[in-house]
Amino acid sequence: MSKTFDKFTGVIFLLISILFIFESLKISGSAYGSAVGPKTFPLILGVVLGLLSLRLLYETFKLKSEKEEKETFNYKRFGIIFVSAVAYVFLLEIIGYVLSTFIFLVIAFQVMEKGKLLYTLIIAAFFTFGVYAMYVQVLGGSLPRFSLF
Amino acid sequence: MEIITYLLNGFAIAFQWHNILFALIGVIIGTAVGVLPGIGPMSGVALLIPVTATMTSGMPTEAAAASSIILLAGVYYGAMYGGSTTSILINTPGESSSVVTTLDGYQMAKQGRAGAALSIAAIGSFVAGIISLIGLILLAKPLSNIALQFGPAEYFSLMLLGLCAVSGLAGKSMTKALIMTVVGLMLGTIGIDTVSGIARFTYDQPVLYGGLEFLTIAVGLFALGEVFKTILEKSDSTQPIAKIKRILPTKQDLKDSAIPITRGSLMGFFIGVLPGAGASIASFFSYITEKKFSKNPDSFGKGNIAGVAGPESANNAASGGAMIPLLTLGIPGSGTTAILMGAFIMYNVQPGPLLFDDHPDIAWGLIASMFIGNLFLLILNMPLVKVFAKVVQTPPKYLLPIIIAISFFGVYAVQYNTFDLYLLLACGFLGYLFSKHDYPVAPLVLALVLGPMMENNMRRALTISNGDWKIFITQPLSLIFIVIAVAWILVPIILKLIGRKVIVTDEG
Repeated sequence: MSKTFDKFTGVIFLLISILFIFESLKISGSAYGSAVGPKTFPLILGVVLGLLSLRLLYETFKLKSEKEEKETFNYKRFGIIFVSAVAYVFLLEIIGYVLSTFIFLVIAFQVMEKGKLLYTLIIAAFFTFGVYAMYVQVLGGSLPRFSLF
Repeated sequence: MEIITYLLNGFAIAFQWHNILFALIGVIIGTAVGVLPGIGPMSGVALLIPVTATMTSGMPTEAAAASSIILLAGVYYGAMYGGSTTSILINTPGESSSVVTTLDGYQMAKQGRAGAALSIAAIGSFVAGIISLIGLILLAKPLSNIALQFGPAEYFSLMLLGLCAVSGLAGKSMTKALIMTVVGLMLGTIGIDTVSGIARFTYDQPVLYGGLEFLTIAVGLFALGEVFKTILEKSDSTQPIAKIKRILPTKQDLKDSAIPITRGSLMGFFIGVLPGAGASIASFFSYITEKKFSKNPDSFGKGNIAGVAGPESANNAASGGAMIPLLTLGIPGSGTTAILMGAFIMYNVQPGPLLFDDHPDIAWGLIASMFIGNLFLLILNMPLVKVFAKVVQTPPKYLLPIIIAISFFGVYAVQYNTFDLYLLLACGFLGYLFSKHDYPVAPLVLALVLGPMMENNMRRALTISNGDWKIFITQPLSLIFIVIAVAWILVPIILKLIGRKVIVTDEG
């Protein structure tokens, strides 16, 4: 665990709690004269979160820094998959479920391990058409279709 | 003998052919989930909710709910069976409650007794499953009758107790666990307030009016979080797998494990009933107990069969015990049962004391199906253990992208908008960051489920008392719950201050 991350999240949570308190005060009070309206519960939560994040900040400053282990991360692999996942969501309703899923899987399989293109294509196609056929044809659900034609 | 009539009716439901099929599918998927490192019972159940919702879409609501819950519960207890397989064969626990099984299980496998270890784990799990079911049947009615007396103040305090218990035991830092709980409660307030109809924290975004979908958050935090972690951190290396020679245990093995199985089952069941404690703690305690009672404690860690039999029975019994607070009180005590509760609510079925009166088909059908499911698991795990050992070798390069694709499909099929998919990705990334830095995500999901109920009960109680907050401490039962809740938070702190070690769970 890293202290920098804890400091950072402590500050973020503190800001969120202040924002939450501020915003819940704006919610109008009780609708029918009862003592507690829709703003009470969020207000309490905001105050509790504020106190807890102060406590977290106090803990991070008090505790001695632990030795940080060097880890190797696969940033490139993760980055490509994450970006293609975002692109997948973006394209889903434009080019349809089958095409977008197929493309995403092919990219992701190849990023995980290069080569064996034939296997990649077969498994990606199998999954994509399998889900589409099962869900749309057999179960009668609906998924976005290719809509350019 | 009212209970027996109900139970027989339950079996009539569970023996309908499609429900047998659902139980079978559930336990097979559950075993696979338990075997595959990287997907735990929590993400497994969360991922399957949308799939079951689709499978049952043609049925009437009541029957659909019963069938889905039968399948999802099957995944939950099936995962407890599967988790032992990887612990024994490759020294890697498939889920956190099988960690202690590696100690003796892997040693047994090294000595060529992998088959015996696996079958004892399966037999122990089966016995534990049956014992915890009997406990569930005996306790369900009396407990729900008590719960029927609860007013809103009691309910509020009881939920507070549940949240405190889970936060008190989750993760290394209680502050972090409590922060996650409060964040979960906050996320639960987004949307239109059910009592007054006022929109809160929606900023005029129509997509937020209904509130954040619990399913999206759970799948994102657990399933995608774990996938992202594996993509970022794991290098692809395959471990050698121990060979399985003889599947059946010897007579001596059975004799040696009979008592640990019984002890583990009983202990696991009662630990499972407690909120916050769960399968991991149960298996850990069972291991310690077996070592203490053993004639030669030195043989533990060197392949003693009691070190497999006890913990494996305990974690299974705990998963049965954890169903009790969910079914009778309507309050989940762990992450996985919180997700099951989400499934109940999706079908407009409120778990709780009225469940047994309002929806006897679902409640008793589920209990009866757990008998059938446990029997399936025993049959599946003995001869098919070699097949599941193959599942361990599924290359992650195919598995991980497919999990991403399944969670996208699942969320989209239920929500039908891309906002939830972006939210899913964001939750996946946050889920990875949180668990990486010891912020437990199970309390967040639990709080998200309980939040709206907690707020409604709080407001109802305060309306009854004309806004007097003392109602929570003047009602005797409510006071007891609050005292226990406070103790749950304070006792670990005090123990830490006087220098005692505190056991924590990372399963939730």
